Amino acid sequence: MVKVYIDDKAVEIDEGLNVLRAAKANGIFIPHYCYHPAFAPEGSCRMCLVEIEGQSKLELACSTIVKEGLNIRTRSPKVIEARKAVLEFYLAEHPLDCPICDKSGECLLQDYYEQFGLFNSQFKDNKEKKEKRVKIGRNLLLDRERCILCTRCVRFLNLVTGTGDAGIINRGLHAEISIYEADLIDNNYAGNLVDLCPVGAITDTDFRFKTRVWFLEKKESICPLCSRGCNIYIDFHPGFPRVKMSRRVYRIRPRENENINQYWICDFGRYNYAYLDEQRHHKILMERTGHSLGLSWDKARPMLSEKIKGLVNLKKSSRVAVILNTRLTNEELFLVDRIFQKELHLENIFVANPQPGKDDGFLLTEERTPNRRGLAEIGLPALAPDLKTLAEKTDFLLIFGSDLTESSSLDAIKAAFDKIRTKVLLTTHSSSLDSVVDIIIPTPVIAEKSGSLTNVEGRVQEFSPALEFRGDGLPEWQLLLDIAKELKINHKYFWSLDSPESIRRQMAKEIPFFNR
Amino acid sequence: MSPEYSGKLRKKIDEIVTRYPKKDAALLPVLHLVQNEVGFISPEEEKLVAQALGIKPMRVREVVSFYTMISSQPLGRYHIQVCSNLSCHLDGSDQLIDYLKRKLGIGVGETTADKKFTLSTVECLGACEQAPCMMVNFEYYGQLDEARIDQILDRLI
Amino acid sequence: MEEKILTRGFDIKNLFEIDVYLQHGGYKAVENALLGMTPSAVLEEVKKANLRGRGGAGFPAGVKWSFVPQKAETPKYLCVNADEGEPGTFKDRYIMSHNPHLLLEGTIIASYAVGIHLALIYIRGEYEAIARRLENAIADACERGYLGKNILGTGFGLDVIVHRGAGAYICGEETALLESIEGKRPYPRLKPPFPASVGLFQNPTVINNVETLANVPLIILNGAQWFVKKGLPKDGGTRIFGVSGMVKKPGIYELPVGTSLRKIIFEYAGGMRKGKKLKAVIPGGMSAPVLTADEIDLAMDCDSLAGANSMLGSAAIIVIDQETPIFEVLKTVTKFYSHESCGQCTPCRIGTSWIHKIVERIGQGDGEEDDIDAIIRLASNILGKTLCPLGDAAALPILSLCRKFRGELEERLPR
Repeated sequence: MVKVYIDDKAVEIDEGLNVLRAAKANGIFIPHYCYHPAFAPEGSCRMCLVEIEGQSKLELACSTIVKEGLNIRTRSPKVIEARKAVLEFYLAEHPLDCPICDKSGECLLQDYYEQFGLFNSQFKDNKEKKEKRVKIGRNLLLDRERCILCTRCVRFLNLVTGTGDAGIINRGLHAEISIYEADLIDNNYAGNLVDLCPVGAITDTDFRFKTRVWFLEKKESICPLCSRGCNIYIDFHPGFPRVKMSRRVYRIRPRENENINQYWICDFGRYNYAYLDEQRHHKILMERTGHSLGLSWDKARPMLSEKIKGLVNLKKSSRVAVILNTRLTNEELFLVDRIFQKELHLENIFVANPQPGKDDGFLLTEERTPNRRGLAEIGLPALAPDLKTLAEKTDFLLIFGSDLTESSSLDAIKAAFDKIRTKVLLTTHSSSLDSVVDIIIPTPVIAEKSGSLTNVEGRVQEFSPALEFRGDGLPEWQLLLDIAKELKINHKYFWSLDSPESIRRQMAKEIPFFNR
Repeated sequence: MSPEYSGKLRKKIDEIVTRYPKKDAALLPVLHLVQNEVGFISPEEEKLVAQALGIKPMRVREVVSFYTMISSQPLGRYHIQVCSNLSCHLDGSDQLIDYLKRKLGIGVGETTADKKFTLSTVECLGACEQAPCMMVNFEYYGQLDEARIDQILDRLI
Repeated sequence: MEEKILTRGFDIKNLFEIDVYLQHGGYKAVENALLGMTPSAVLEEVKKANLRGRGGAGFPAGVKWSFVPQKAETPKYLCVNADEGEPGTFKDRYIMSHNPHLLLEGTIIASYAVGIHLALIYIRGEYEAIARRLENAIADACERGYLGKNILGTGFGLDVIVHRGAGAYICGEETALLESIEGKRPYPRLKPPFPASVGLFQNPTVINNVETLANVPLIILNGAQWFVKKGLPKDGGTRIFGVSGMVKKPGIYELPVGTSLRKIIFEYAGGMRKGKKLKAVIPGGMSAPVLTADEIDLAMDCDSLAGANSMLGSAAIIVIDQETPIFEVLKTVTKFYSHESCGQCTPCRIGTSWIHKIVERIGQGDGEEDDIDAIIRLASNILGKTLCPLGDAAALPILSLCRKFRGELEERLPR
């Protein structure tokens, strides 16, 4: 640790940090464009100039490492003047695109102008005209007039993806970002360039012109599309559907996590968010021949519990089967284990998951569910469903998720299911499986509930709801607890569990892995 | 480019690479070589050079587009580069540039229809004591006036 | 009177041929240094000689050499800065074309002093014929045992590569020069770290100007004291002043450091051309702030020029006459820097062109009342805020022209 002075305040800083990060750690923001913690300092934007006692010239905060006794001023008259001067240079050649630019509202030129500029334009000459809609990637458009040449995009593609797709061509005022000929940026991390770009030079065609960022709210969540567990923000319109917007969720962005995804998410996780809103089940449905009957959970809960209770009383608890998936949270899998394995001693507990994909060598894993590791640590079996066993030995089947259709044909499933008296499907989305079950209960997606997930490396991450669940069902942990209570099994144990937090506390007591 | 020609070129490139402790350092001399042989650096040459040095074509283009002496467009047989910097400007380089424009019938940055001459203005050539100066390909000519320009150009076939 | 210690022999026919050079005492300095002195003794001698860099910055060469760690785990390099891009400068062209072996001697002795075994001469692309002459000289020197693995049987080896630039003023800046050699866009680097510790390919590197190195053999042959006496106590030796512009005899003049500027222009360079009167002088290459006609009674040494708020720079003297509108000078200056700005950092990239746009607009007759104020404000905004010295090199001359010749410039603007 070293002691430095920032704006007359003495602070202790970790050795080796640059002044910019030291200031940030003490709540002092120094404006910057080209600096990004993922890369070595570049020093080209000149926005982070600060005054350091003993130096006649202003120094860069991003590349000055803290030393014992350093006396730094981030708001002296010289610094304020320098910031205005540098900002004025940026704005001089920048097009007045704010009214049509997606970045408006989260643009660092706008933000710094509001905080450190507020001067009138003195530029009387003609701005450089450059191409404004260059396709550089599947979802990426480059506007060369808006580009401030911070080179974050070039460095990201050189240093993080190693694909070296972009570069700077020409010289001086004519310098611009370019890809090589028509070789579009084509890797699974291209979307990060949009977040990296401090201004609206690189925009996402997926988001382009769809909404204004000030209409959106952002909430924290965890991406459930593979087992990396990247931390994300979900940007959604909070008024939807009361306010007439075309959709609820507009985009997914990465959230910094030093240990898991650093500053990035993959395009697979970034662009596959339609599932949050499309084809969702909202009502609890009971299938009677020819039509569906809507139910409330108050009616459905005792119905289901009776069926299970019936089989238990007849010593036929083995005639109850469960098909799980590993999108369920740690808490939910724990309850499945405690209720169905430990209390009811069920034999037929299966796991049906989506097909694995290809590991991309960085974040995206082969496993395309978020909690395979959780299942393993809790001690549930991971057998694939055996339709024959199900057909012959099951009277009551509880299915979590509709992934069964990925490994078996609907006909085969139907044939097996026709031999099962009661099939209950707890699912988020409508699917072909709907037609072969008796009761459908809508459940929330990860983004809509609380709990924790265990990622591929064994990191347990807690999360809270980012979006509102608009269905008549309940989160699986709640449904399971309700059933447990209806079944009156181990009254004392289950009555004390009433939230994911309390379930987690119990897990920590019983399973060492979850007590860290 | 024929495979035979590119093979020959590749050999020369490989020789240049051996002179340097790091392969990347050969880029600029290799670009000079290729420009000398081919006349300019098009995407085809960029890719050849990229392959020879084990780097991405984007890295080659970044360098090609930076330097005034490396051209990505074909040039005339004789590239007339008139210095427009201070000492030459003081001695009437503007008028000489106008003269050349009229004489050749082209503007600055353009090439004559017969592809013989390209006219450019450049910054200080480092021959200020002989102002006004021009460089034709790599030949320096100083103390120019219209007559001398005529003399010089007439001798170029 | 002209003190030809470095340019002595420039009029000897074919001095660039090694046999002619040897006939005239060539490579004696290399012999004295490598056979009679230790590397640190050589370094000390050059330090004592107060040999200041002759590329523009004027940093003492011996001190620069001493920044390189004596023991290094990686190879060390010497880069000879023969980019000579500073407008008005042509002295290194003379040295390399008339006496390339003198430069090679300096290169060998410098490399010996610092422990360098590979030197690269970064020569501007336009000097193509001179590059070939250098290559021939190197081949000849190798053949005679002055370069290569075992120079004069001492065990000290040195290879020299001629590396041609391709038309970019910024490559004269030492870290941009390194980037250019490394095969990248020549963007200057942040300093610290300095090239003496992190240079070419991240290894310790010395970068010296051609004229600086060409003086080293003279120092070895005649001693540091002799060298200092030729010039000034803190600024030893002679400078090759390059005079151009509206003088009768433009050319190079080797004179003691500290010679009066007025003397150089009116005695050596023959004074103003017929019928012309002196209006202004740029004393050290275009990046040096301009001096008015009554400011030329000035000693031409690094410290005196700095004291006059200008700089000795590359000692390139450009003489401007009364008939030349200062506006034309300003236009040429702003055009140059906006064209040569590499574009890496914003104040220079945008600022130099913004100023040039204003000047162009004035030139087309559309000037506005506050344009000169605007130019001064913008140049002041560039000053001290850029990543490399080119920003200051642009801002300072522009400021000096606008401040010292404001009246004349404002004549182009509406009242």
